[in-house]
Amino acid sequence: MNLFRSEEHARRWPAFQPRAEEGFITLADLAGFFGTETRRHMLDPDYLSTWYPRRTAERRAYLEQINKRSPFWLGTPDP
Amino acid sequence: MADPLLMDRMFQRIMRGLVETGRAPHYAEAARALGISVEEGRRVLHDVMQAYPIGWLHPDTDYIASFPPLNNQPTQYRITVRGAQRWFAQCGFEATSVTWLFPGETVRVDAPCLDCGDPVTVEMRDGRIVWVDPPGVVGHLNYGFGPSRGRPPFL
Repeated sequence: MNLFRSEEHARRWPAFQPRAEEGFITLADLAGFFGTETRRHMLDPDYLSTWYPRRTAERRAYLEQINKRSPFWLGTPDP
Repeated sequence: MADPLLMDRMFQRIMRGLVETGRAPHYAEAARALGISVEEGRRVLHDVMQAYPIGWLHPDTDYIASFPPLNNQPTQYRITVRGAQRWFAQCGFEATSVTWLFPGETVRVDAPCLDCGDPVTVEMRDGRIVWVDPPGVVGHLNYGFGPSRGRPPFL
Protein backbone atom coordinates (compact mmCIF):
# COMPACT_ATOMS: atom_id res chain seq x y z
CA MET A 1 0.00 0.00 0.00
CA ASN A 2 2.03 2.83 -1.33
CA LEU A 3 1.97 6.46 -2.34
CA PHE A 4 3.18 7.39 -5.82
CA ARG A 5 3.76 10.72 -7.51
CA SER A 6 1.02 9.84 -10.01
CA GLU A 7 -0.79 6.87 -11.52
CA GLU A 8 1.76 6.79 -14.33
CA HIS A 9 4.56 6.41 -11.82
CA ALA A 10 2.74 3.51 -10.16
CA ARG A 11 2.25 1.75 -13.50
CA ARG A 12 5.97 2.03 -14.22
CA TRP A 13 6.86 0.43 -10.87
CA PRO A 14 8.45 -2.95 -11.70
CA ALA A 15 6.36 -4.68 -9.00
CA PHE A 16 3.05 -3.30 -10.33
CA GLN A 17 0.53 -6.14 -10.57
CA PRO A 18 -1.68 -6.18 -13.69
CA ARG A 19 -4.77 -6.66 -11.56
CA ALA A 20 -3.82 -3.66 -9.48
CA GLU A 21 -5.08 -1.33 -12.17
CA GLU A 22 -8.13 -1.18 -9.92
CA GLY A 23 -5.93 -0.45 -6.89
CA PHE A 24 -5.75 3.32 -7.24
CA ILE A 25 -7.31 5.62 -4.65
CA THR A 26 -7.21 9.39 -4.52
CA LEU A 27 -5.38 10.96 -1.63
CA ALA A 28 -8.59 12.55 -0.38
CA ASP A 29 -10.41 9.20 -0.39
CA LEU A 30 -7.42 7.57 1.27
CA ALA A 31 -7.41 10.15 4.05
CA GLY A 32 -11.12 9.46 4.54
CA PHE A 33 -10.60 5.70 4.49
CA PHE A 34 -7.93 5.93 7.16
CA GLY A 35 -9.70 8.66 9.06
CA THR A 36 -12.96 6.93 9.93
CA GLU A 37 -14.34 7.16 13.44
CA THR A 38 -12.36 4.36 15.07
CA ARG A 39 -9.08 5.86 13.88
CA ARG A 40 -9.79 8.92 15.94
CA HIS A 41 -9.71 6.88 19.13
CA MET A 42 -6.34 5.17 18.84
CA LEU A 43 -5.14 6.93 21.99
CA ASP A 44 -8.26 6.11 24.01
CA PRO A 45 -7.68 3.74 26.95
CA ASP A 46 -10.24 1.27 25.56
CA TYR A 47 -9.22 1.40 21.90
CA LEU A 48 -8.30 -2.27 21.59
CA SER A 49 -11.39 -3.63 23.34
CA THR A 50 -13.99 -1.10 22.21
CA TRP A 51 -12.93 0.65 19.01
CA TYR A 52 -10.72 -1.72 17.09
CA PRO A 53 -13.42 -4.42 16.77
CA ARG A 54 -15.60 -1.89 14.89
CA ARG A 55 -12.92 -1.19 12.32
CA THR A 56 -13.73 -3.88 9.75
CA ALA A 57 -17.38 -2.91 9.33
CA GLU A 58 -16.50 0.74 9.26
CA ARG A 59 -13.87 0.25 6.55
CA ARG A 60 -16.24 -1.78 4.43
CA ALA A 61 -18.93 0.89 4.69
CA TYR A 62 -16.47 3.57 3.66
CA LEU A 63 -15.20 1.56 0.69
CA GLU A 64 -18.75 1.02 -0.50
CA GLN A 65 -19.43 4.73 -0.09
CA ILE A 66 -16.54 5.59 -2.43
CA ASN A 67 -17.67 2.87 -4.84
CA LYS A 68 -14.86 0.43 -4.22
CA ARG A 69 -17.05 -2.66 -4.02
CA SER A 70 -14.92 -5.25 -5.80
CA PRO A 71 -13.42 -8.32 -4.09
CA PHE A 72 -10.02 -6.67 -4.62
CA TRP A 73 -10.96 -3.88 -2.23
CA LEU A 74 -13.43 -5.60 0.06
CA GLY A 75 -11.21 -8.62 0.61
CA THR A 76 -13.95 -11.01 -0.35
CA PRO A 77 -13.42 -14.14 -2.49
CA ASP A 78 -13.41 -13.70 -6.23
CA PRO A 79 -16.72 -14.72 -7.84
CA MET B 1 -6.08 -14.62 26.41
CA ALA B 2 -5.19 -12.01 29.01
CA ASP B 3 -7.68 -9.82 30.82
CA PRO B 4 -9.13 -7.27 28.34
CA LEU B 5 -8.34 -4.35 30.63
CA LEU B 6 -4.72 -5.44 30.86
CA MET B 7 -4.56 -5.85 27.09
CA ASP B 8 -5.96 -2.35 26.65
CA ARG B 9 -3.29 -1.03 28.99
CA MET B 10 -0.52 -2.89 27.13
CA PHE B 11 -1.84 -1.60 23.81
CA GLN B 12 -1.76 1.97 25.06
CA ARG B 13 1.69 1.51 26.58
CA ILE B 14 2.99 0.45 23.15
CA MET B 15 1.10 3.06 21.13
CA ARG B 16 1.95 5.92 23.44
CA GLY B 17 5.55 4.75 23.67
CA LEU B 18 5.76 4.91 19.90
CA VAL B 19 4.16 8.35 19.80
CA GLU B 20 6.36 9.75 22.55
CA THR B 21 9.71 8.33 21.47
CA GLY B 22 9.37 6.92 17.96
CA ARG B 23 10.13 3.42 19.27
CA ALA B 24 7.96 0.71 20.71
CA PRO B 25 8.88 -0.42 24.22
CA HIS B 26 10.27 -3.88 24.83
CA TYR B 27 7.81 -6.11 26.67
CA ALA B 28 10.02 -6.08 29.76
CA GLU B 29 9.83 -2.27 29.87
CA ALA B 30 6.10 -2.34 29.28
CA ALA B 31 5.67 -4.96 32.00
CA ARG B 32 7.40 -2.75 34.53
CA ALA B 33 5.20 0.19 33.58
CA LEU B 34 2.09 -1.96 33.96
CA GLY B 35 3.17 -3.48 37.28
CA ILE B 36 3.26 -7.08 36.03
CA SER B 37 6.05 -9.63 35.78
CA VAL B 38 8.33 -9.70 32.77
CA GLU B 39 7.00 -13.06 31.64
CA GLU B 40 3.42 -11.91 32.02
CA GLY B 41 4.36 -8.88 29.94
CA ARG B 42 5.65 -11.13 27.19
CA ARG B 43 2.45 -13.18 27.20
CA VAL B 44 0.24 -10.09 27.18
CA LEU B 45 2.27 -8.66 24.28
CA HIS B 46 1.53 -11.79 22.25
CA ASP B 47 -2.14 -11.59 23.17
CA VAL B 48 -2.27 -7.97 22.07
CA MET B 49 -0.63 -8.77 18.74
CA GLN B 50 -3.12 -11.58 18.21
CA ALA B 51 -5.98 -9.19 18.91
CA TYR B 52 -4.43 -6.53 16.66
CA PRO B 53 -3.34 -8.60 13.65
CA ILE B 54 -2.71 -5.61 11.42
CA GLY B 55 0.56 -5.28 13.35
CA TRP B 56 3.20 -7.96 13.74
CA LEU B 57 6.28 -9.10 15.61
CA HIS B 58 9.53 -9.71 13.81
CA PRO B 59 9.38 -13.44 12.91
CA ASP B 60 10.47 -15.81 15.67
CA THR B 61 11.08 -13.00 18.14
CA ASP B 62 9.21 -10.97 20.74
CA TYR B 63 10.21 -7.72 19.06
CA ILE B 64 7.50 -5.42 17.77
CA ALA B 65 8.14 -4.73 14.10
CA SER B 66 4.89 -3.04 13.16
CA PHE B 67 2.19 -1.43 15.23
CA PRO B 68 0.07 0.55 12.80
CA PRO B 69 -0.22 3.20 11.88
CA LEU B 70 3.41 3.46 13.03
CA ASN B 71 6.26 1.05 12.39
CA ASN B 72 9.05 0.17 14.75
CA GLN B 73 11.12 -1.08 11.84
CA PRO B 74 12.01 1.77 9.48
CA THR B 75 10.09 2.06 6.23
CA GLN B 76 10.30 4.57 3.40
CA TYR B 77 7.41 6.51 4.98
CA ARG B 78 9.14 8.99 7.25
CA ILE B 79 7.00 10.99 9.63
CA THR B 80 7.96 14.42 10.92
CA VAL B 81 6.18 16.30 13.72
CA ARG B 82 7.31 19.61 15.23
CA GLY B 83 10.41 19.49 13.03
CA ALA B 84 11.55 16.09 14.33
CA GLN B 85 11.68 13.09 12.00
CA ARG B 86 11.34 10.41 14.61
CA TRP B 87 8.66 8.07 13.26
CA PHE B 88 7.90 5.72 10.40
CA ALA B 89 4.49 4.72 9.08
CA GLN B 90 3.69 1.09 8.35
CA CYS B 91 2.81 1.88 4.73
CA GLY B 92 1.62 4.69 2.52
CA PHE B 93 -2.00 4.12 3.45
CA GLU B 94 -1.39 4.01 7.19
CA ALA B 95 0.71 7.14 6.81
CA THR B 96 -2.52 9.09 6.31
CA SER B 97 -3.77 7.86 9.67
CA VAL B 98 -0.80 9.04 11.72
CA THR B 99 -2.40 12.48 11.94
CA TRP B 100 -4.83 11.07 14.52
CA LEU B 101 -1.96 10.29 16.89
CA PHE B 102 -0.84 13.92 16.99
CA PRO B 103 -3.92 16.07 17.54
CA GLY B 104 -3.43 19.73 16.79
CA GLU B 105 -0.06 19.11 15.12
CA THR B 106 1.02 19.18 11.49
CA VAL B 107 2.17 15.70 10.51
CA ARG B 108 4.44 15.50 7.49
CA VAL B 109 4.90 12.31 5.47
CA ASP B 110 7.97 12.09 3.23
CA ALA B 111 8.63 9.11 1.01
CA PRO B 112 10.52 8.36 -2.18
CA CYS B 113 8.35 7.35 -5.13
CA LEU B 114 9.03 3.65 -5.79
CA ASP B 115 9.17 4.33 -9.52
CA CYS B 116 11.61 7.22 -9.75
CA GLY B 117 12.87 7.91 -6.24
CA ASP B 118 11.71 11.50 -6.37
CA PRO B 119 9.99 12.79 -3.24
CA VAL B 120 6.35 12.43 -2.31
CA THR B 121 5.24 14.76 0.47
CA VAL B 122 1.93 15.01 2.27
CA GLU B 123 1.15 17.18 5.26
CA MET B 124 -1.95 16.65 7.38
CA ARG B 125 -3.43 18.29 10.42
CA ASP B 126 -6.28 16.76 12.42
CA GLY B 127 -7.19 14.57 9.47
CA ARG B 128 -7.15 17.33 6.86
CA ILE B 129 -4.67 17.35 4.00
CA VAL B 130 -2.93 20.72 4.13
CA TRP B 131 -0.10 20.22 1.62
CA VAL B 132 0.66 17.73 -1.15
CA ASP B 133 3.67 17.67 -3.43
CA PRO B 134 3.39 16.85 -6.26
CA PRO B 135 -0.33 17.55 -6.56
CA GLY B 136 -1.00 14.25 -8.37
CA VAL B 137 -0.01 11.97 -5.48
CA VAL B 138 -2.15 8.81 -5.41
CA GLY B 139 -2.51 5.78 -3.20
CA HIS B 140 -2.09 2.36 -4.72
CA LEU B 141 -3.08 -1.08 -3.44
CA ASN B 142 -1.04 -3.68 -5.30
CA TYR B 143 -2.42 -7.03 -4.14
CA GLY B 144 -5.90 -6.32 -2.87
CA PHE B 145 -7.18 -6.79 0.63
CA GLY B 146 -7.93 -10.14 2.20
CA PRO B 147 -6.05 -13.34 2.95
CA SER B 148 -7.14 -14.87 -0.35
CA ARG B 149 -4.71 -12.59 -2.15
CA GLY B 150 -1.83 -14.55 -0.66
CA ARG B 151 0.48 -11.60 -0.16
CA PRO B 152 1.12 -9.38 2.85
CA PRO B 153 -1.63 -6.80 3.01
CA PHE B 154 0.79 -3.95 3.52
CA LEU B 155 2.27 -4.23 0.00
